Amino acid sequence: MEGSKTKRSFLPFFVLSCALGLVLFLRAPALEGKTVDFPQMSGWKQDGKTQVFSPRTLYEYINGAADLYLAYEFQNLHVAEYKGEKKAGVTVEIYRHKDPTQAFGIYSQERLANARFLDIGSQGYHEPNVLNFLTGPYYVKINGFNTGEDDEKVLRPFAEKVEEILGEKTSLPPILSSFPGEGKKKNSEKFISKNFLGYSFFHSGYTADYEVSGKKFKIFVIEGKDQQDCRAMMEKYLKQTGNEGQKPSEGTYRLKDSYHGEVALFWKGKSIWGIVDLKDPDLRSKYLKEIEGRGKGGER
Amino acid sequence: MSKRGMGRRDFLKSSAAGLGGFVYLSANEKGSPEKGQEKKEGKITYRTLGKTGLRLPVITMGVMNTSNPALVRAALSNGMYFLDTAQTYQRGTNESMLGELLKGRPRDSFGIATKARLPNNQTTGLYPEEATEEAFAKKIDTSLKSLGLDYVDIYHHHSVWVREAALYEPILNALVKAKKAGKIRSIGITTHRNEPEVINAAVDSKVYDVVLPAYNFRQKHAEEVKKAIARAAEAGLGVIAMKTIGGNVGGSYHNPQIDAPAALKWALQDPNVHTIIAGFATFDQLETDLKVLRDSLLSKSEKENLRRAALQSGLYCEGCGKCLGQCVRQLPIPDLMRAYMYLYGYRNLVEAQDLLFSLSLPAGLCGDCGTCPVKCLNRWNVSERIQNVVRLREVPPEFIA
Repeated sequence: MEGSKTKRSFLPFFVLSCALGLVLFLRAPALEGKTVDFPQMSGWKQDGKTQVFSPRTLYEYINGAADLYLAYEFQNLHVAEYKGEKKAGVTVEIYRHKDPTQAFGIYSQERLANARFLDIGSQGYHEPNVLNFLTGPYYVKINGFNTGEDDEKVLRPFAEKVEEILGEKTSLPPILSSFPGEGKKKNSEKFISKNFLGYSFFHSGYTADYEVSGKKFKIFVIEGKDQQDCRAMMEKYLKQTGNEGQKPSEGTYRLKDSYHGEVALFWKGKSIWGIVDLKDPDLRSKYLKEIEGRGKGGER
Repeated sequence: MSKRGMGRRDFLKSSAAGLGGFVYLSANEKGSPEKGQEKKEGKITYRTLGKTGLRLPVITMGVMNTSNPALVRAALSNGMYFLDTAQTYQRGTNESMLGELLKGRPRDSFGIATKARLPNNQTTGLYPEEATEEAFAKKIDTSLKSLGLDYVDIYHHHSVWVREAALYEPILNALVKAKKAGKIRSIGITTHRNEPEVINAAVDSKVYDVVLPAYNFRQKHAEEVKKAIARAAEAGLGVIAMKTIGGNVGGSYHNPQIDAPAALKWALQDPNVHTIIAGFATFDQLETDLKVLRDSLLSKSEKENLRRAALQSGLYCEGCGKCLGQCVRQLPIPDLMRAYMYLYGYRNLVEAQDLLFSLSLPAGLCGDCGTCPVKCLNRWNVSERIQNVVRLREVPPEFIA
């Protein structure tokens, strides 16, 4: 009796918890609303109204650079300008993309590998007059003008406040852990949203730069929708590399790509991973196996 | 295999045949270019970029949409030896990618243009006093460092849309000094809107050697741009066209409404355009552009495709800005026309409402003016369109989100 009473009283709480969890999961990101309340900063005053740009108007703000943002499913941009003392100024730009992967993509295109990285958002970095960071579907760019030599002290509080209004901290795409650590250039990982390797049939993919014993090469991972999707990609790539008519099957390939040089790749399930421009067969084999061991290949 | 029975690799191989080197014309070959100063060598068509003397293929690779060095290498090896980048593309990593790729290549085997801007007032387009000569000079040095080059062939003053900004002395001084110091060979200016005013200012300045305007078949003010370009070319300036597929008005290689090769050819029909920037991102698109490089004549079907696409753009406001001074209430008419397009063209209520809210419009628009003095170049009834679209403000956002 006692047990069933506990079960009955637990049930409404459980249902409520699930409903609340679902609501939180489906909760619209902070900037899907009509306005953004940019933070008030002590010693600074917002200069003018917040500017808002959509995919159709982004050109007006960043001109030719807009093309690449649109390729990463750009949704909207909110911009606020702050004025401080002695003609100091800070501009805060919040770019919202369709999802965290797309936001990581554009962030990774612009990330400078040798910048000073910060623990803010999923990742952030500072260089003179600039503090950029990524959090969830947002790519935030903060620029300082006349903010002095040590302007990290000025820009960082802006970043922290903006991070607060954008919500919970998220992590970088989990697939990045598939890349072997040995020889990898730190912070060289990129997500390419379409036309991976310059081929429209490859959809999207992740890539990272490597250097081992003075030899530079790239490792990539492509995630297909399913096995059939990968089969279609492989068929087209085989045709592209002069192997027309060859029926693709899961396993290892070594191909001569007229644009990229030697490409070794492995297809398993809904994943294709490979190495561009690495001639050492032992090293190639080692890396391909390590990627599989790190979680790629089992997903069918 | 292509329709003509030539595979991609064969095509790329054949395009590379008969390439000329990257050359500047000698002093006595320079001067005011004549129309039709076009040469076909091998299979590639070249034109001379005005008084700069640069002999360029009629298509320049715009590197802005790619971080793929293999694509740039393929363009270079197929005769598309002039590259266009900017310090703002991928926050400078586009320039450094090119720097890495160009390392070790003979400097006379390629040409390169890059560009930069200083923060300006986004509403007026004017520069604040903090925009200094030193700041722009630093931009030039940063570009050279990223590219790993001693000089660039063209350095553009980027993204200008008002005359005063085009003639802003601190930036002109920085460019002239850099040219004297041998850091840049030619001075250029880019403009994505209000192009005729900027092109004319560039001619009047006697400083700029090159203009780089948006120019495409979908621009309602294309005739005005064409006239300004003609004046620039007559004055000896080099003319490079961008956004020729209509990138600033919704066009792209993937837009099914746009015949991309036809759009590229459209700009090249103007003999005053010396080269156009194509921002391809795949090898397929490169192949498309290489075909145009060999044959830029518009076919009958391509002309028809352009005509249809231009008609479909009846809802696009190109933002020529002619209406802005005409409205007695100083309404942001181009923005309102864009909201109208979102609503009636794309049926995107959220986008339209977002835009309306962002404009902070007064209540009761266009209801009490009597006759509307605004004369739109598209001959649109602007007042009627405004009255229609602003009704969306009354709809609670949660109904349409």
